[in-house]
Amino acid sequence: MAEPVLTFTNVHHRHAVPAPKAWKPWAKQAGAGIHGINLSLYPGQVLGLIGPNGAGKTTLLRVMAGVLPLREGTVTSHENGFDRPVHDLRYRTGHMPEQVRWQGTMTVMEILEQLSEMRGHGDHHLGPLLTMVGLQGRSEEALDRLSQGMRQRLSIAAALLGSPKVLLLDEPFNGLDPVAAEAFASLIRRLIEKGVSVVISSHMVTQLEGLIDRIALMHRGQLLDEGPLNEVEKRLMLDGRYRLEGPGSMTSTAFLEPLRTEILSTASNGDSWSLTVRGEAEAVLDACKAQGVDVQSWAPVKPNLVEWLCAATGMSFDDISLDVASSAMVPMATAEVMEDE
Amino acid sequence: MNDLRRVLSVARRLRKERLSSIRLKVMLPILVLFLPGLAWGFSDPNIVLPGGHRPDTAMEVLFYASLGVVFGATMCGVLMAFDGVSKDRASGMLEVRLAQPMPRQHQAAALVLGHAQAILIPVYTLLLLTVAVVRFRMGEWPSLGELVVYGLSTGLIVVWYTLFALLASTTAREQGTAIAFGVGVWFFFTFLWALVTTMVAYVSGVAVGEPNDPGWVALEGMLDMLSPNGVYHHLLETQLPTVDRGIAAWQAWLAALVWTVIPWWALHRRMEALVP
Repeated sequence: MAEPVLTFTNVHHRHAVPAPKAWKPWAKQAGAGIHGINLSLYPGQVLGLIGPNGAGKTTLLRVMAGVLPLREGTVTSHENGFDRPVHDLRYRTGHMPEQVRWQGTMTVMEILEQLSEMRGHGDHHLGPLLTMVGLQGRSEEALDRLSQGMRQRLSIAAALLGSPKVLLLDEPFNGLDPVAAEAFASLIRRLIEKGVSVVISSHMVTQLEGLIDRIALMHRGQLLDEGPLNEVEKRLMLDGRYRLEGPGSMTSTAFLEPLRTEILSTASNGDSWSLTVRGEAEAVLDACKAQGVDVQSWAPVKPNLVEWLCAATGMSFDDISLDVASSAMVPMATAEVMEDE
Repeated sequence: MNDLRRVLSVARRLRKERLSSIRLKVMLPILVLFLPGLAWGFSDPNIVLPGGHRPDTAMEVLFYASLGVVFGATMCGVLMAFDGVSKDRASGMLEVRLAQPMPRQHQAAALVLGHAQAILIPVYTLLLLTVAVVRFRMGEWPSLGELVVYGLSTGLIVVWYTLFALLASTTAREQGTAIAFGVGVWFFFTFLWALVTTMVAYVSGVAVGEPNDPGWVALEGMLDMLSPNGVYHHLLETQLPTVDRGIAAWQAWLAALVWTVIPWWALHRRMEALVP
């Protein structure tokens, strides 16, 4: 595997939340945040940052982008065989926040020129960038007149200014129709081919299928598991799952027992049946054939967000959902700790 | 691109956007009425001010017309800058800007310069017209020194109110709070400061509002150092030899420096701690 572009070690950040006291109304204390994050980003790979709302994905991306300060931990880059500390992440990353509502009378070209100047680039060669994101015909359009899809394209153009080695995308598919989403995914694939390391946060795992190489599961400000998609699937025993469907009803699944196959769920409504198993799919199919069971369809089952989280935390769906609704952003290891900043 | 060029360049784009805004077009008639309009009135040869006073030099007329700056230009500065940060924060554009590798202190400087220039360009243009009006009505030009002090002081007071509004804008999560804070500060110093002065005079046992009482004049002069509008008038009074409120020119300029440095420093601090 290639050397990582950036390595984050034991990264912490907790938001300062107002905690007014009678004698100190402006007092703040450490609140929710991210806790003990260890993560490496590799060139030409896409990391899917997955977690429910409030898991800390946006906070982590903001820390990675240099928008929020690192309260604790280190960031290093691997250059010429050495690990060097990174002091200003903003030079190395391009950040696309969630759903920027570009507004104002400035044109697309003007805002990109301004952001380019803020990066210290006096010369503006923005034509190829606009072409890459599909905004070449809109460069003189005022920001107020852009559609949601165009705004997303502008956001990624802004993130790509200065040709960053790492691109951070916060929920980039939100608000995009399927056509725009596919165009966006294709753009990301082109960037990966150029060796850009991409981090995409999402709470919709299905949106990232076929796009991500690695997955990082976040919950309550902590990284539960991280690694190549198939390895994490295997570790969490979410691999090798298949759904079989057929007409009529299936009276018994006892014939599957000798196959060392785990039956995850069965359903039948009289007209059709379905069965979800984890194990050797071909052996299951052969067994069904031998029993005369008519199998109409057979497909692998990819885990959804809830399944990922349940597997990673060992909690049930009810516990996870209640937990998400209540104290999602308080780091698990520090849930009771609240000190003055 | 060096740091200064970068700041000026970002400020230039901000200024351009603000100058073409509808907001400024709405404010322009107000500025016209307040700046050359007041100068036209105060330079009337037959005017008699309360107390039987008649302004008889160009600088005196400009001094009285500075009421237009205090009422109009500062309010326009507040209205121009109150959403300088909060609007970008609400739209998500602030996060994009903060993710750029430009030091936040430089971003703050660009914000102040961009907004202040956007309001100062029309204000200075109208001030030139004001001087022309005074010349036309009185047949007298103010001296170069008077013009420099008048222009510099006006620039400073606009920058101060721009800073207050931007400070409010960094603190407020929504634009309503930002405008309430900005207008509130403007209202306090423009209208309520007289009340503060009166109360302090009352508590100190000084006869309130007695222009011939040296105690009242000295107290008012001193308390004015605590108000941006008061400091502005002190600066202008450095060009009026007949006015003496116990504050030396260097003290007035020192107060102006303090009123510039402290809010600017506070804005830098706020920008450093700003969370999108």
